[in-house]
Amino acid sequence: MIRDVVVWLSQLGKGPGEYDPSWSEQLASTLNFWGLLEGTHVLSLMLFAGTIFLVDFRLLGWSFRRTPVSVVSDRVLPLTVFGFALMVVTGVALFYAKPLLYYHNIWFRLKLIFLVVASINILVFHFRVQRNRDAWDTAESPPAAAKASAWISLSAWILVITFGRFIAYDWYECGKPLPHWANAVQSCAASERGAIELGETAQ
Amino acid sequence: MTMAPQDIFPALADWVATLDDTFPGAWVKPYFAQWEVGHILTLALLGGCSILLNLRLIGYGLTDEPPSEVRRGVLKWLNVGVVGVILTGVLIGASNAERLYTSEAFTAKMLGLAAALVLTYGVSLPVAKAEGRASPAAHLAGLLGVLLWAASLWVFGIGKLINPGVWHVIFAAALIVLFVTRGLTRIVYVATGVGLVTALYVMNRVVISPDDYARLDPMNKAFAGGFAVWILAAIAVQLVTTGRGAQGGAFTKAMAYAAILVWITTAAAGRWIAFA
Repeated sequence: MIRDVVVWLSQLGKGPGEYDPSWSEQLASTLNFWGLLEGTHVLSLMLFAGTIFLVDFRLLGWSFRRTPVSVVSDRVLPLTVFGFALMVVTGVALFYAKPLLYYHNIWFRLKLIFLVVASINILVFHFRVQRNRDAWDTAESPPAAAKASAWISLSAWILVITFGRFIAYDWYECGKPLPHWANAVQSCAASERGAIELGETAQ
Repeated sequence: MTMAPQDIFPALADWVATLDDTFPGAWVKPYFAQWEVGHILTLALLGGCSILLNLRLIGYGLTDEPPSEVRRGVLKWLNVGVVGVILTGVLIGASNAERLYTSEAFTAKMLGLAAALVLTYGVSLPVAKAEGRASPAAHLAGLLGVLLWAASLWVFGIGKLINPGVWHVIFAAALIVLFVTRGLTRIVYVATGVGLVTALYVMNRVVISPDDYARLDPMNKAFAGGFAVWILAAIAVQLVTTGRGAQGGAFTKAMAYAAILVWITTAAAGRWIAFA
């Protein structure tokens, strides 16, 4: 069902002729625009991930120990949020350029899972962990709950970035002879290139 | 004449050809993607540190603290980021040496790296330690860093197939100005920017056919110049008006812009090694 939406997305804006490209195909075949989108997506990590790392380091007591947590949050997080908006806008556009390729990609699926983990962690921190912040705002080393949030944040974002980079590699591309589990988690059987089980290729 | 390393150091060709067969290149090659992740993570870390430090020098961001305190907060992690990005860069470079040897983007990247190190360690950090006051040594380092950065941008801008990557630097400069300007300047700045982007889109999609590269190329270069003028004008206005809590003068603020953008230039040139 989700795949039907992705297929519909990939065909959107297709002209009447057999070889008229859809909007998605037009975006994927631009000479430089796709590269600029991808480059912006990666470079925005300096703003987004770089600042979120430093906020997490403050919560762990690894940096800015003399600056209240509230000051670091109020001054740095607006930059992080702006960076995140850039990541999302460029990321959605990049997905739109090759939606079916990413839909059947194991690393893309893992990346989305850890994006959800990171998001839940932000909500828990914001609405629960941070509620008694006044009590430890100036503490050089915040309490264990805040540190746990920072550890989850750091781990989740590092995994999101790692899986994001791995999307570009074709180690588990559908249509190649793959172990059963890889075909299963990528829904390769539904993909245009199909699912080929490792060991079946001899027949 | 091109500006790839092979044109500048032709005698190294035989040595470069051996790098991916010998340690550490051969050792890294099967794990290229994993080391690449390390390169990107340390890049993000050093980028975040540089952005917070230099925005503070411009008078934005962590303005509750003096610049020296922001320097204290980021110094260790900035060092980790710089050492990490160079170490992982040398390793993935050794496993991919012939590609880099023929890449003009790599020349731009190395000039950018030299400029970034000079501007970060010779200007931003010592100036922040002195609460924004720039010593004669910092002025000298600033001059050297900006000259190296200009050389990097020149190679990036004239390089075939890689010059669209210069848009990353223009876009980043536009964002910094958006963050730090206030009031009427910000309104005029945003309105002009929206106008420029709209004009660029209309010219690229409507007026000139999207596949007429012969006409699009000079026009887009002219637009890049127009964007640069728009941003530099806004920076000039911002430099002569005092920012929130900015102790330094126009030199300190101008160097802080340069110190962020030079890392963007270096990273963008790195990304365009793969695209050209």
